[in-house]
Amino acid sequence: MKPEVDVVLRSMMTKLLLEVAPAVGDAYVRSNVEAMGALLAAAAEEFDRAAEVRVAENRSMREILRAATKHVPEGDLRSRLAVAAEEREASLRITDLNAANDRLRALLIEIQTLVEGSDEEWARRIDRAIWDELRASARRRAISFYPF
Amino acid sequence: MRELGDRIATYLAHRWPHATEVAVEEIERIFGGASRETYRVAVRYREGEARVQRRLILRRDPTSSLIETDRATEFHAYAAFHGSSVPVPRPLFLENDGRWLDRPFFVMEEVVGAVSTPKLLSEPPYVELLESIGEQKWRILGTIARADVSTIGLAKTLEAPALEDCWRRELDFWEKVIDDDELTPQPIARAAIRRLRRNPPPPPPRLSVVHGDYRTGNFLFDGTGRIRAVLDWEMCHLGDPLEDLAWALDPLWSWPDRERPGKLLPRQRALALWEDASGMTVDRRALGWWEIFASVKGLAIWISSGREFADERNQDPILALAGWFPADIHDRVLVERLAPEEEPL
Repeated sequence: MKPEVDVVLRSMMTKLLLEVAPAVGDAYVRSNVEAMGALLAAAAEEFDRAAEVRVAENRSMREILRAATKHVPEGDLRSRLAVAAEEREASLRITDLNAANDRLRALLIEIQTLVEGSDEEWARRIDRAIWDELRASARRRAISFYPF
Repeated sequence: MRELGDRIATYLAHRWPHATEVAVEEIERIFGGASRETYRVAVRYREGEARVQRRLILRRDPTSSLIETDRATEFHAYAAFHGSSVPVPRPLFLENDGRWLDRPFFVMEEVVGAVSTPKLLSEPPYVELLESIGEQKWRILGTIARADVSTIGLAKTLEAPALEDCWRRELDFWEKVIDDDELTPQPIARAAIRRLRRNPPPPPPRLSVVHGDYRTGNFLFDGTGRIRAVLDWEMCHLGDPLEDLAWALDPLWSWPDRERPGKLLPRQRALALWEDASGMTVDRRALGWWEIFASVKGLAIWISSGREFADERNQDPILALAGWFPADIHDRVLVERLAPEEEPL
């Protein structure tokens, strides 16, 4: 059985921080090695959850866009919202999930710009849903440690 | 590194015509910053019969950096405050001619026997000195805010915006950095920017020197608890002094501790010290605006550094690190400020 990617990355991080960095005499190079160790640890954390985070985000953003579609006046934005809301993931590759995530985030910005200036109940509801999703997204993407 | 040392010695011999046998004994690159390549340089030379040794810091323009800054701005800020109650290293030479070291650079004296690493504040002997270091930190920032921009000479080198335009100029600048450098759409930053534009702050009572990156990590402190020098003035400009105060108070600099900004004193004490030293009263609503702005500016810097790394213009690990960890935290801080819930994230 092959060791998983995150196991390999964490192992390399430990080697870098505990064996390589202390053996490096040049302070600048040593700090670079320590920075690489922190990046490997973050990459290990991200590897395991990357697809789940993006799938959850994309699903949540599509739900918001679908809810907004009903209220947005007919026209270009409404058409784009409707298409994006019904889109399915092209694959579970991170590049595909990221491409969809970018498209959905761009639309989320558009729809939030529209609703945050409105006093209508549906607009306030959508604005709250967007903030709930942004809060959840910040939590999902938070790295569990801070190296500074 | 030896070749660079030899070229530095040649340059110094040119600038010090009274000196002979100029040689660089040691040269070491300093980690961090990334807005300049920074080197610690030990030099020796003869002055008549006397042997002289000096320790210098050389800051050279990078091929690419976190933020595009003007070396002259930083050099002039050191010159303006040197010898005042705001401690800074003594600036020596500003060199724009690329023939010496390929890129422009400036030279200043090294402040020896002091450190800047924030992590050290949780270790002896510094952990016992937080009160003293903290008091100086906030008083120095107040003193910078109080400085007369004309008297210290910065009115001649820095653009003076109209008081009512201070916020707009900064927000326009950093929004453009996000426009130019974002790798992915940024809904949190965009929402923050719209909020800031809808609710601008009142103009400051007067124009102040704004350091631009005043925080724990950008000043040198020693083992007696004395702040020896404020560094990294490359983003210095004239503007609203609350901009600096808000940046220094940002939760990132003490993460995850929210109680003691910059890992030093409680927030209310910091504000009181700043008010006392600056002679100004903090407008809490205006400070709230500048605190949201501080996190937007931070995000812009981290987005820019991530872009530099992703585009392979500069593969220094600090750029990837900056584009990842602090960006994540500033997103969280902004959501918390813009749409607070009972429990912090």
